Amino acid sequence: MQAKDSNPPDGGYGWVVVVSAFMVMGLTAAILKTFGLFFVEIQQHFDELASTTSWITSITIAIFHLGAPVASSLCVRYTHRAVVITGGLLAFSGMALGFLGLNMVWMYATTGFLQGLGISFSWTPAISIVSHYFSKKRALANAIASAGESAFAFTFGPFFQWLISQYGWKGGLFIIGGIQLNICVCGVLMRPLASSCVLEAPPDKGASKIDKEDQSPVTHKTFNWMLVRRPEFVLYAIFGILAAMSFFVPPLFLVPLSYSMGIDESWTASLLSILAMVDFAGRLLCGWYANLHVTKTVHLLTMTITLISTSLMLLPLANDYLSLAIFTGFYGFFFGTTVAVHITVLADVVGMSDFDSALGLFMLIRSTGGFVGPPLAGLLVDMAGDYRAGFYMAGTTLVLSAGFLVTLDQLQQRKERGSQANTKPEKSTLPYPSFHLLKLQ
Amino acid sequence: GVSGTPVEKNITLGSASRIELSCRLDNKYSHFKSLQVTWKRGNETVRHINKTENSWSIQLRILDNSKLGSYSCTLKGEEEVGAMFHLQPKIEGKEKPIISYEGDTAVMTCESSGYTPIAWTWYMTNGSEQIAININDSLLADKYVINTISANVTHLKILELTKEDDGVYWCEAAFELGKSKGKLKLKVLSFMVPLKPFLAIVAEVVVLVTIIFLYEMYLKKKEKRAAEFWSLTSLSYSKSEESNGLESSSARHRKI
Repeated sequence: MQAKDSNPPDGGYGWVVVVSAFMVMGLTAAILKTFGLFFVEIQQHFDELASTTSWITSITIAIFHLGAPVASSLCVRYTHRAVVITGGLLAFSGMALGFLGLNMVWMYATTGFLQGLGISFSWTPAISIVSHYFSKKRALANAIASAGESAFAFTFGPFFQWLISQYGWKGGLFIIGGIQLNICVCGVLMRPLASSCVLEAPPDKGASKIDKEDQSPVTHKTFNWMLVRRPEFVLYAIFGILAAMSFFVPPLFLVPLSYSMGIDESWTASLLSILAMVDFAGRLLCGWYANLHVTKTVHLLTMTITLISTSLMLLPLANDYLSLAIFTGFYGFFFGTTVAVHITVLADVVGMSDFDSALGLFMLIRSTGGFVGPPLAGLLVDMAGDYRAGFYMAGTTLVLSAGFLVTLDQLQQRKERGSQANTKPEKSTLPYPSFHLLKLQ
Repeated sequence: GVSGTPVEKNITLGSASRIELSCRLDNKYSHFKSLQVTWKRGNETVRHINKTENSWSIQLRILDNSKLGSYSCTLKGEEEVGAMFHLQPKIEGKEKPIISYEGDTAVMTCESSGYTPIAWTWYMTNGSEQIAININDSLLADKYVINTISANVTHLKILELTKEDDGVYWCEAAFELGKSKGKLKLKVLSFMVPLKPFLAIVAEVVVLVTIIFLYEMYLKKKEKRAAEFWSLTSLSYSKSEESNGLESSSARHRKI
């Protein structure tokens, strides 16, 4: 484990892993985003209400978040590769069985549950292994991998429509399931790092590990619940909840807001395309910038969050297509930058030894925000009678979340100053903050 | 107002009604001295009432579809301008074909926007003929189900699809004043159709996984052989150091 922390490849085969993760992002998150195109077809075929049909996606998202900690603890036990391959098979089975389309409950179980589990088991390890393979270039690697989601989402829209027109929704699901089998190919590429064999450490080896204040021997074999005792993680988790409350709201209300301003369907659709494109650009640019190590990742994240909330607060001022497009562009760009860097910040906050557990736990905790946000925003919109209220709410929660980031940063800085004062280092198997520490000195 | 180019307007009537159609002239044309206004339905002239100086209108009582059609108002003066009014409710079908699979159930929907029809009838096309689907016929009752969801919406459910069910279907709404049809296309595919691209993708996945797997095994074997080589080398090196402090390289050569 020490070997893994202090000497990740930081390049070489790591880039193969990045490409593989890029594909997995596309084959999971992007498919989830574009699934809406199947909605109307499924709803009409089963003669159900829109709300009943939308439960499919709700189940997928819920299982995705609940499965994340399970996936990450399985990673620790069975390697990332095995979990990703399993995820690919699960996702494929969900779509392929959805083809049979027996009834709505069947769709919940297949395209809802199985697909959600598959996505969870593919996405979580893919994100995680990129961080394991890199230390100095971690931010760039994470950013490139996450850009896969935007790149694929952009092309899947027209592609799914074509699939439905050629094969119907059933045939479309079946073929998409097949495409998701490629997740297994990506999984096979995710070679476990040699030092992860050390995980089956005998007790004496575990005692010699330097693991922050925590002196417990083997924290790797089991899921690390001790994380919740650490204030940095708690602060970051609260940030995650508030941020998640805000993240799902703008895409939801952008289209109705646009219609309420009198903008027609095709122009509104172009807004979504703009969003996807600037999102992609934002992710890559942020990765490149973070890689320069000019700014601490936590500071970078705080900046991007502040910029998103500013864009969101200004967006309601838009009164025509052009202004709306400009503000949407800003929002999308900074959203991309945030997504690109926030996993790297998690790695910096908890360190690589607990990263897998932290990732799973973080996703689980964050999901509560994702479930609360849209209904709360909807309530505010109904009360105000205007979709702009949703954007104000999203901007406000983001400002609050930034507050937690600042607190986290202060805490970390205080600890670093404390450890500087001590002769022997108090903690820090974290490569990145210690690198920063050296820079300060 | 009429302004030099023929104007057409579609008016939809849901039920029997009294309607007044009027042609109005913009003020800029009022200088035309000799104006002759004729209201016509097809070739028949309809008597008009000259309501004001610049407008001419007719009043119609539409009780059945004999009075429906295109009415035109023609002003002859310096310029000949006209307007056409069509009176007919319209039903929308679906432009995109509905795609379904053999053995599956297909659901086709027709909606009448705004006006409630008295009855719905479904037709299937056999060659160039349209055959009504009568669900009272016991032969057809197992295959077709017609549901009237609400007054304005009707569903045709076709069970146990076969290739013969592929084709054009019509839903006809009967109104007080006439009938209107919507067109729907049903395409029935066999499972083979999506299966082919699917199998192609599965083949691609299997091939890639195998290649990557084999390559990794090959690399591992190389590493293993290299590791064995070096461990043997260092072993002989240390041994030769014990026995003979000098010339370790020659010792290596001798041993291996």
